[in-house]
Amino acid sequence: MFGEKALELVKELQRSKTGTISAINEDVMRQVLEEMRALFEQNQRDVTLALAGEQLLFSAIQIRHSALERNKRCLLAYLAGRLNYVRETRWQFGSVLPAEVKQNLSEPELQWFNKYSKCLANYMSSIGGHGGLDLTQDVKPPKTLYIEVRCLTDHGEFETQDGSIVLLKKNSQHFMLRSECEHLVRQGFLEHIVH
Amino acid sequence: MSLSGNSSGKISRSNENYFSIDDIIATQEKIPCKFEVAVPHLGYLDQSSDSEDVAVGTKLELPYWLAQSLCGRRKHTVSVELPKVYRESYREIFDADATVVDLHKLGPYFYLFGTRLLHFEHPDSADIAKNLLQTFQTRFRMIMDMSQNSFNEDVTQLTQKLDETERTIFDVGQQGLNDFQQWETRQVDKLTTSMMVANHRKRKRAQVDDGQE
Amino acid sequence: MTGGRPCAVCMYYTRRERCHWPTLKEEFFKGMCQRVLVLVAFDVDALCACKILQYLFQCDHILYTIVPVSGREDFERAFVAHSEGIRHVILVNCGATDDIIEMLQPEDNITFFVCDSHRPVDVHNIYNQVQVKLLMRPDELHDVPQFDEVFSDDDEEPEEADDVCEEPEEADDDSGNDSDTSGPVRKKKRVDEQTLEKEREKRLWREARNKRIFEYTEFSGFGTSAALLMFEIAWKMSKDTNDLLWLAILGVTSQYANRQVERDKYIEDIGQLQSHVSRLNNRSEDDSENIISVNCLKITFESELQLTMYRHWSLFESLCHSDYTFCKFKMWSMKGKKRLHEFLADMGLPLVQCRQRFAAMDMSLKETVKDMISKQTEKYSIDEQKLFLPSFHVQFGFKNKFCAMDAVLACEAMLESVSANLTPSDNFLKAGDVLNRSKTECMEKALSQAKMQLQAIVHQVQTFIDMKHQVICAGPFLYAFVTEGTPDASFFSKPTCLCHLAQFTLDAYSTMSHNKRAQNLPLVLGAPQDADLGTMLVVGVPPASDTSRKNFFGKAFEQAAITSNTQMMQDNFDSNVIMLKMDDKSKFFDALISLLQ
Repeated sequence: MFGEKALELVKELQRSKTGTISAINEDVMRQVLEEMRALFEQNQRDVTLALAGEQLLFSAIQIRHSALERNKRCLLAYLAGRLNYVRETRWQFGSVLPAEVKQNLSEPELQWFNKYSKCLANYMSSIGGHGGLDLTQDVKPPKTLYIEVRCLTDHGEFETQDGSIVLLKKNSQHFMLRSECEHLVRQGFLEHIVH
Repeated sequence: MSLSGNSSGKISRSNENYFSIDDIIATQEKIPCKFEVAVPHLGYLDQSSDSEDVAVGTKLELPYWLAQSLCGRRKHTVSVELPKVYRESYREIFDADATVVDLHKLGPYFYLFGTRLLHFEHPDSADIAKNLLQTFQTRFRMIMDMSQNSFNEDVTQLTQKLDETERTIFDVGQQGLNDFQQWETRQVDKLTTSMMVANHRKRKRAQVDDGQE
Repeated sequence: MTGGRPCAVCMYYTRRERCHWPTLKEEFFKGMCQRVLVLVAFDVDALCACKILQYLFQCDHILYTIVPVSGREDFERAFVAHSEGIRHVILVNCGATDDIIEMLQPEDNITFFVCDSHRPVDVHNIYNQVQVKLLMRPDELHDVPQFDEVFSDDDEEPEEADDVCEEPEEADDDSGNDSDTSGPVRKKKRVDEQTLEKEREKRLWREARNKRIFEYTEFSGFGTSAALLMFEIAWKMSKDTNDLLWLAILGVTSQYANRQVERDKYIEDIGQLQSHVSRLNNRSEDDSENIISVNCLKITFESELQLTMYRHWSLFESLCHSDYTFCKFKMWSMKGKKRLHEFLADMGLPLVQCRQRFAAMDMSLKETVKDMISKQTEKYSIDEQKLFLPSFHVQFGFKNKFCAMDAVLACEAMLESVSANLTPSDNFLKAGDVLNRSKTECMEKALSQAKMQLQAIVHQVQTFIDMKHQVICAGPFLYAFVTEGTPDASFFSKPTCLCHLAQFTLDAYSTMSHNKRAQNLPLVLGAPQDADLGTMLVVGVPPASDTSRKNFFGKAFEQAAITSNTQMMQDNFDSNVIMLKMDDKSKFFDALISLLQ
């Protein structure tokens, strides 16, 4: 039955809802496009025939056309879903993606990511007066200027705004400016301790 | 995770969400159809026959998306029968006691698919619509109760018998409960690792562990 | 050595003088680098002090970094790693007994604040007014050698002095060969006499100094709890809260639990805390308007029954695992167990009830347990002082009620947890969580760990007593070894647990031994530590009858290692805990025995 390969792509997307993504499935995509091409060619032939006079071909043309639309929908949904994921990664991982995430994205998707990052950066620098406004900061309304954090992994030296160096060694605890270490907390290197 | 885009040209009564994954998968479900017209060259659709064409009267199970385009107000290439889950016998079961039915087994997209069925304007459509609504209403109370009262437990037992729409509602309920608990215990102030990063790390760690073994 | 002669009075915190805290603050706000480094030792007192400090820093937005250190090596490493750009370092329960400037070789602009209950404080720390500030009570710095007794401008490099000593002799030898230099030779001879005299004086002074230092450092002990001092600082700044008070209580209680201080000192500290408790917890009993929520922390003074963790266990188990009752009823023997049953029967407590979880016992019985035990003290010659202790318990919410002793034990058990995949610093953080009110599940877990530890200890004591010649009298002291391969031996590879075992063993042994002197003998206990490295942990505890709790083993171990030429590591901040190689065991102990004869 037509459209079953295309459905595989959509199901793949459904499975990965938990926030990870698998590598782009170019094989299956190619197969779907093959199927579409075959259907299209058959339809072209039948349409010429039908225009020439054969009446009964209409239902066949209709069926193939529906199949083409279906495949198109599945492909687009697959790509759109992946693009959503890529967009989300900008907000969660920051502007530099870890290697494991990068290797699962296709070249066009990476380019889209870079363009999106640029758009976002342009927008952020244009709002909020001089210096712009970092929208990726303060995802939750901040309650305090300073927070206590615990280091979950060895992360090396970290330079703070006032120039002093903090060594982020595993299991050390620090009291720092929230704005400075928020991104480290979001990236999972530090744990925020609330009392 | 869905972007709503315009549908493929058609304006349909049900809220068709072009990029919705749930909708795409739901509309793959099969409907028993009977061909009213012969369809040349597509004989391979019918695996039981060898002929090159589909003969009139052939009964096949076609996916919804195909049946929808072949059976409507203006064309009638196929005629459709209701899947058994939406027929009278099952409707009576739902009327009797909807809460015990395993809707996941009866089609994981019971409600979504049911509403799509109404497109075919079958004589039973009105009854189906009413029945869907009633089933939903009856089960809703049970779902809400379950989702608000199981905190930090393993909920797979509870959600086993729910269809996908109900599961989404259940999750929303749980999320609300969790949010409230977090607010109560002042965890809302706490900055957390973004979900994606946390999952990413979990996977990485699992891979490393597997690699070590 | 720091140049110049600083005056003999050191800068330290006193009740009479201004509190040291504002100085800290002023120095921070003036300086460019605001971050403070805090190095914390691995004990409950330090942990509590650290938490109080964190709170005070957070109030004033002073940035800090906290690094737990398990011993001297860790201490040095942590300082080197974290001290870049730091101007102020706070040492909690570590560093007082070592010459930290010599040890760490810090930059001149770094100031150290030492809040350490270990005594005696190293003389270099006391007399260094510039870089080392001691946060201690002045009356605890008694018997400190005078400045002149231990420091001298002339005492630069003793090796060079010896060379100078030798030269005149060589010159004497040469003088015979060179007749032209007779004049200078005679001058040299006079000079030689002077230098010889000087050398003699210097030598005498050095010997006197060494003797004085030895006297000063012979006995190690403990001063006021670091947590209590931190609380007082908070109080002076009017930033004290009930939570901080509870932490101070735990610090003081941990000192008593580990028998680091005399009972009198403990009572004195408790009295002080009691006034704070009544000040901060003065809600009336009939709080009918419900102004104060049940969830708030409430501390209550109580004469606590000294049955270990009885609220979280069954009464029977608690009786079997508490030091005093175990020894009193001689529960290593069948007769002893029977006596315990009689005791319970006399009190009117059915055995079935006693074996149930305490929380599940009948309400009527639960409430009267203490009274019933008090009534029986005469018949069973129970020392009320040993069985009842003035202490505190804390309550928050309906379910959570913990007494100070239990909280301390739980925290210690967590600090020394022996899970394979947890590093010491992981344990430190988990122990901190145990004291966190919003994480009661951590406390529950820690309590069960403490139970396991205690069961291992009792089991080991039973083994020591049952099998003959396990606890050996070497004359000046008793000693015993935990055999390798004992299933619970891993618990005893940690210092605090091993010390508990030593105290327990000593109590039990002195009760059952026919040796009249056993009460007055100290105990040295060894246990395998790391099988791969072949090391063992050795602790020395003072006699059961010694109430001053002064411990001479630190110095004794040091000497024994030198005379027997064994490699011993005194890495722990408690000098009576050392690490040895298993192979060196007999050599070392022979040396120790002959040393102490």
